[in-house]
Amino acid sequence: MVSELINANPTVYEKKERRVRSAPSDDADEYAVEPIDQPEVFDILSLELDIKDPEHPYSLEELKVITEDAIEVDDKQSYVRVTFTPTVEHCSMATIIGLCLRVKLLRSLPSRYKIDIRVAPGSHASEAAVNKQLNDKERVAAALENPNLVDMVDECLAPSFG
Amino acid sequence: VTISALATCTPSSTARAWFTAPHPYLPLLASASSDKTVRVYSLTSFTLISTISGGHKRSVRTCAWKPGVTGDAESVLATGSFDASAGIWKADNGRTRVGGAALQAVEEGEDATDAEEAFQFAVILEGHESEIKSVAWSCNGNFLATCSRDKSVWIWEALDDAPGQGAMNMGDGGDDEDNYETVAVLQEHEGDVKCVAWHPTDEGCLASGSYDDMVRIWREDADGEWGCVGVGNGHEGTVWCVAWEPEASADPTVATTNGDEGEAVSGPRIISCSDDLTVRLWRRKPKAKPKLPTGPRMPSIIRSSSDEEVWYEDSRLPQRHGRAIYAVAWSKVSRRVATAGSDGRIVVYEERQTSGAGDATPMSIDGQEGEEEGRPRPNSEWDVVSELEASHGMTGPVLSFNMSL
Repeated sequence: MVSELINANPTVYEKKERRVRSAPSDDADEYAVEPIDQPEVFDILSLELDIKDPEHPYSLEELKVITEDAIEVDDKQSYVRVTFTPTVEHCSMATIIGLCLRVKLLRSLPSRYKIDIRVAPGSHASEAAVNKQLNDKERVAAALENPNLVDMVDECLAPSFG
Repeated sequence: VTISALATCTPSSTARAWFTAPHPYLPLLASASSDKTVRVYSLTSFTLISTISGGHKRSVRTCAWKPGVTGDAESVLATGSFDASAGIWKADNGRTRVGGAALQAVEEGEDATDAEEAFQFAVILEGHESEIKSVAWSCNGNFLATCSRDKSVWIWEALDDAPGQGAMNMGDGGDDEDNYETVAVLQEHEGDVKCVAWHPTDEGCLASGSYDDMVRIWREDADGEWGCVGVGNGHEGTVWCVAWEPEASADPTVATTNGDEGEAVSGPRIISCSDDLTVRLWRRKPKAKPKLPTGPRMPSIIRSSSDEEVWYEDSRLPQRHGRAIYAVAWSKVSRRVATAGSDGRIVVYEERQTSGAGDATPMSIDGQEGEEEGRPRPNSEWDVVSELEASHGMTGPVLSFNMSL
């Protein structure tokens, strides 16, 4: 589909060491509210299902498109903001990557969450336009009614077995 | 003023409720849903009395009831969908009447086919290239405006095939073929057109708001040609909704704004809300008295420039929303303004007249914007009179709210 790669030689980084999640002990109140935190959202986006770069077999984490630091979580306000960094500043896949991030969070987080997705300041030639589109509720809803786009998103969100 | 939840309409759709519209004279509420249907609820029992389905292939984004009066034989609902088409639906009021057999059947859990089938698909309006975002009827119901992600506003005229016959007399289900004609396609916006709103009394004027951050005002000229006559330029984010100031109160004790430079000269104001978290009030600059032509009347090519209108930001409402403001409404009854935002908040504002413009502090909203000639200072302020938090989530049931003094 993409005849020429937008970024033919991306820098690939090591994956981050994961913290070990403690299993809840038997006497813990299983109905206790467990706040969602930054590492958890990062895990949702990068570990539990590797979101792949649409044009490379690497995960967004390996390409440093998303890092844990770029995820802001406010559980009390039910708010998440993800700032991602496209590998090249004219990356035409930026809106797709952003849509994948949003869809993944929509499917994983409780519905009370408000989600903002943006590209890192200065990281994209059409930063304002990309951000505007990624956060327009109608554009996002309409995109998710488009079978071709949904297929593309699902492909990015498919677990990697590599 | 306090707002409290009145009722939840049941059963609710599990899909997103995009837009709700109360019926102009019956206690009914239409709710456009992303499940491709419109649900019509009773506002007395808050139960579902009809589901309109089968007409749209994608989300129904919006809907609007054609204006009417008590006693009309039928109700007309326009819908706009992400499938790029608009639908016109009709219902015999006898079959939807509240307290009538149809509703009772629903309440008693009996076969509700009568109510279910109350709405009949009348006509589909095709022309837009992509998602329709908003539809609106002109004040007398003669025109329908639709707007879309394709950056255009379309105006449709309902053609009356039975001239001389008032709508009130058409109760016998005669063969009234529905026919709509495109009278204008307006394409000046540079982004998705998010909303359209007709002038409260003039069927030759409407306003729109867009993803291009602009408000545009459109008018029909004497030759029946539509064009953009003015812009509200200043928002720094998508303009999600615009609303016109309701017709001036007939009560002479209610002061008109701005004295002699007020509504009589510049007409009703427009209010807009945006992704930039502001709610702005726009006012048309009063036109200078046209100089009487001394010679023979100039040809009409000159006239077009005199059609241009200068709209300026008159004031801003207090900022209360923390996320995008999606809707604004201006009450005909109380003349209060209400906004709703992505932050789940509903805010109600009330205008308060301040002392004359003379001793008002200079306007400095923009800093660089100086005192423009002929630009009166606002002589009113807006107070927040009520706020309700966590009124809505992203998805959820349709709620009704009650406001009391």
